[in-house]
Amino acid sequence: MATESNPAPPPLSSALPPPRMSVGAAGWIRANLFSTWLSGLLTVTSGAVLVLALWYGLDWVLLDAEWTVVTTLGGQFIIGSYNSEQACPGQNCFWRPQAALLLVTLLLGMGWGVAAGGLAKRIALIAAIAIALLAFLPYSLDKMGLDVRLLLIANLPALLAGWALARYTALGTARWIVILSVAVFLITLVLLRGVPGVPGLQPVLVQNWGGLTLNLVLAVAGIVLSLPIGIALALGRRSNLPVVKSLCVTFIEVFRGVPLITLLFMSQHLLPLAFPQNFPVNPLFRAAVVITLFSAAYMAENIRGGLQALHPGQAEAARALGLPGWQTTLLISLPQAIRNVIPAIVGQFIGLFKDTSLVYIIGMVDIVRVGYRFVSGNTQYLDNAPEVFIFISLVFWVFTYGMSYVSRHIERQLGVGER
Amino acid sequence: MTMTTNGKSDTDDNIIVCNDVHKWFGNFHALRGITTTVQRGQVVVIIGPSGSGKSTFIRTINRLEQHQRGDIFVDGLELSNDVRNIDAIRRDVGMVFQSFNLFPHLTVINNITLAPTKVRKLPADQAKNIAMELLERVGIPEQADKYPAQLSGGQQQRVAIARALAMQPNIMLFDEPTSALDPEMIKEVLEVMRELAASHMTILAVTHELGFAREVADRIIMFDEGQIVEDQPPDDFFNNPRHERVKHFLSQIL
Repeated sequence: MATESNPAPPPLSSALPPPRMSVGAAGWIRANLFSTWLSGLLTVTSGAVLVLALWYGLDWVLLDAEWTVVTTLGGQFIIGSYNSEQACPGQNCFWRPQAALLLVTLLLGMGWGVAAGGLAKRIALIAAIAIALLAFLPYSLDKMGLDVRLLLIANLPALLAGWALARYTALGTARWIVILSVAVFLITLVLLRGVPGVPGLQPVLVQNWGGLTLNLVLAVAGIVLSLPIGIALALGRRSNLPVVKSLCVTFIEVFRGVPLITLLFMSQHLLPLAFPQNFPVNPLFRAAVVITLFSAAYMAENIRGGLQALHPGQAEAARALGLPGWQTTLLISLPQAIRNVIPAIVGQFIGLFKDTSLVYIIGMVDIVRVGYRFVSGNTQYLDNAPEVFIFISLVFWVFTYGMSYVSRHIERQLGVGER
Repeated sequence: MTMTTNGKSDTDDNIIVCNDVHKWFGNFHALRGITTTVQRGQVVVIIGPSGSGKSTFIRTINRLEQHQRGDIFVDGLELSNDVRNIDAIRRDVGMVFQSFNLFPHLTVINNITLAPTKVRKLPADQAKNIAMELLERVGIPEQADKYPAQLSGGQQQRVAIARALAMQPNIMLFDEPTSALDPEMIKEVLEVMRELAASHMTILAVTHELGFAREVADRIIMFDEGQIVEDQPPDDFFNNPRHERVKHFLSQIL
């Protein structure tokens, strides 16, 4: 523009390629591990410690550890004593959680069909293949029947069916996936709970739900509900209406200020007061409510942090355009605030998932409790507690790592418009 | 100036009417009785030292700041606590900020179509057509699908202008639109503003670009300590200012 009438200036010297880094692997090792004598000493020492730890660790894992204790427990890790004679007399109830699992896999397949990115596909395939592989565990047919194995393998066709549904029918939209997810969650609850009078679906008390299934049901309910409640609390805390504001502050400070275990204990006596007399305030429901509210209080503060970090000019620009306050919040402030605090939100989700194991306090048998009861109740396995708890840790880790993996991807995707 | 009781100003040519407007921030008296009138199609440039209340003043005109005494009428509507009036006035008044304030999570085109679709309830395709026309007008149609962070400062500010224009306002407020820009980008933004002025838009611009003021403005108003100390056409403003403070201010920034 400024130079339109002027002749172009003569060229300056041309750009040079960047200098080459010091050569190869040897150079890297020298620069990063042995740059000074102190660094060299630290490298040698920590290297030695690492090798020793690995040596003894592998020695224990491969030779000393008795992993049979884990295989003996087997399906109990997944559903606790749900399928026991006491919980489900005269019937095989194992198909019910498995049917629910098939529906979840179907949803995963739909997610893969809808999402453009490779993440949904990767997660769907890894999950379905891992589940199907469980069918080939070397148990005898008495312990793990053919029906159980077939239902596990059926997750692969279920995944593909979900994918096809999303690709070739009108159900292939994000909106439908959300609706169907809620439906699947409710169907899961009905399947597990049973329906009185319906053959094959005889009621199973929630006290008999257990294992990883219990952790997952609580975690999913908590995660899905605590986010919107947390958002509402955060907005309420920033509200100009004094009553709304003080209610939200009180809620947040009370639920954040009390240990979750205490809340779980109290829920037994306090929650029934808040519901009609015939309302089924069973331990599962109580645990879900308490975990959700506890997590929502923390979530509110995360979101509030995100809202406070926003430049006030953002809301001003929206208001200046004539957007009413609620649209400014919904379309401008919240999306940016949430994007900024995704790591904190996911951290909260991970914490919530791990906290679900505290429900043993109110008599529920989650995956940790399954292991604990087994080793403490069977003297011959008393020495095998490490194996059991290492296995349980691994299960938790797989799920939590999955969450942070997904979160990193979402962050990267949303980072497109980074300031 | 007299007002009829229904809150309409008596002359339709006066698009902005301010009567003894006061504003305090805590104990700080930021606006100390501003009385002025802007006519439809006028270009008014507001200058003054920092802290003189010039930004505060134009921000009261679309209620980003609330005045505490006096009356403001914008396009026949009184700025009162009536939310409907405030919303109506905001739809009628476009604003461009020093720091652009584009929405970083939306693409350029979505930044522009947001208010027309959500507030004016225009169908999406119609809003998009208007947005593309505006991007042509500010000279960057090829950036439509980028995110704000991918644009230069000058381009961002031109998007911000297009975003404000998309609501088809009768008045445009500019709050130091070029102060955050590198010198080579100031020109492209002033170019757009010049074109806007030529199209008979009513403009209130807080700016330090005196060349632009001299060339485009119908009036230059100088603020100092929350008051209007000078209000003259550019020639008189620069050549025979009435107030000592104007000479002093001009000597400082020229």
